[in-house]
Amino acid sequence: MTFAYEFRWSVLWQHPYGEWMLQGIWTTLTLGTICWFLALLLGIIVGTFRVTPWRPLRILATAYTELFRDIPLLVQLFFWYFAAPRVLPAAIEQYLYRQVPNVEFWVVVIGLSIYTSSRVAEQIRSGVQSIPPDQFFAALSTGLTHFQMYRYVTIPLAIRIMIPPLTTEFLTTFKNTSLAMTVGVLEATFMSQQIEAYTFRGLEATTAACLVYLVITMLVVLLMGFVEKKLAVPGLIARGR
Amino acid sequence: MKKIYLGLLTGFLALCFVAPVFAQGGTLEKIAKSGEFTVGVRDGAIPFGFISKDNEHVGFSVDVAKEFHKALEKKFGKSLKFTLKTTNPKTRIPLVSNGTIDIECGSTTHTVEREETVDFTITVFMTGTQLLVKKGSGIKSYKDLPGKKVGAAQGSTNEKAIRDLNDKGEIKPAANLVVYQEHSQGFLALERGILDAYCTDGILLAGMRAKAPNPDQYEVAGGFITYDPYAYIVRENDSKFRDFINIEIIKMIKDGRYAQIYDKWLGPNGVVPYPMSEEFKIFQKLEAWP
Repeated sequence: MTFAYEFRWSVLWQHPYGEWMLQGIWTTLTLGTICWFLALLLGIIVGTFRVTPWRPLRILATAYTELFRDIPLLVQLFFWYFAAPRVLPAAIEQYLYRQVPNVEFWVVVIGLSIYTSSRVAEQIRSGVQSIPPDQFFAALSTGLTHFQMYRYVTIPLAIRIMIPPLTTEFLTTFKNTSLAMTVGVLEATFMSQQIEAYTFRGLEATTAACLVYLVITMLVVLLMGFVEKKLAVPGLIARGR
Repeated sequence: MKKIYLGLLTGFLALCFVAPVFAQGGTLEKIAKSGEFTVGVRDGAIPFGFISKDNEHVGFSVDVAKEFHKALEKKFGKSLKFTLKTTNPKTRIPLVSNGTIDIECGSTTHTVEREETVDFTITVFMTGTQLLVKKGSGIKSYKDLPGKKVGAAQGSTNEKAIRDLNDKGEIKPAANLVVYQEHSQGFLALERGILDAYCTDGILLAGMRAKAPNPDQYEVAGGFITYDPYAYIVRENDSKFRDFINIEIIKMIKDGRYAQIYDKWLGPNGVVPYPMSEEFKIFQKLEAWP
């Protein structure tokens, strides 16, 4: 069995393809990280609203979560890029589209952060609801206000429970950044396709893209494992081993 | 543990044997054996391949592909399944190379560079790279592009043309090139005001303009930045199939079917009125081997 295809791995680091690939990797890293931190911030807020006793906050948070969770990410990106600026006054819209450098990148930041935050909110909700209610009653009975209870009891406990599912969300955010290429963001997948378009070396280019994402996500898993160990409260969560 | 490794190894080997299947035999044998003629068509290249109001693939190249289908059925004396697959400037060459489609009938420019990976039929149309702008934008040619936002489709000759102009310094300061996946997205961006100009082949721009809700707002600007002869993509080193298709195209030129299809899509009552230039008429006459 012989492969009729000749591999030419050098296209990946030849000038200018090597620079393209590095630029793409850098964009993926920055896009993924910025989106993740924004999503975490928004997600924690919305997730907490989902479990408060006050109905208006709960309704607001539920609407937010369902809306952004149920629409495909690609559709949401197109919405933010092509449709959303229409509601702004024409002058601001033109400024956004023409003057802001890299507007495509920032539009994806908005779209991906909001999408991921709705999923993070759900993780938060399930994390909080998995804490036995006795903890809350105990906290309230020691004289803490609701807000203090959230701050000192609920959220710290919930975060430690939720680190594994949140790690998955972090990884998914990086993988979702590949959709940004459809609105013109020059990230790793786009660049690998660009190399393929110029050199017709499809196999090498796609393998490069796979490796890039594998390496990034494995680094994330390592990082989160480290965070999990650091944050662990001894005896708080049952461990398998 | 050993069982898992064995299972993985078997699976991997099985995959390896599937891959070289398309390396054997010519396209004509493949079509005869499988009874299926698969054609790649576009869905955003008006009027060569686009989606009609009834959600069907229609266009100049689609009609030409239908003629190829009829000719193949006559040749093999049996009915063949006619399958259309959507391609875009990025996927069209890889899909022909790996055997997913037998021929790509769209609006592909025949270039020397592309000849390294695939083969082309004889030229079926001629155009060049131009710019689509909104009326009143003040852009008359590529020289007005410095600092402006220009769109193009990934993998197209037009994207390469703008990139080369930027790199060579012919557009100073460089134009901001935004790359989309299909022309329909780029046109939407132009319409929304995200782009100052969208760059692709002149005939496709005329097509996008004709299909726009308000054609008077747009104009096609600039002379031809590049020369783009259209041809259909076929697999490398497959002369039997390529000869068959070429001879079919020549037959169509000689017996008037080509003129009919041209008139339907590019004639005065067509989707995009675009009279055949005198040079193209002469070119066609010379191209039709006796």
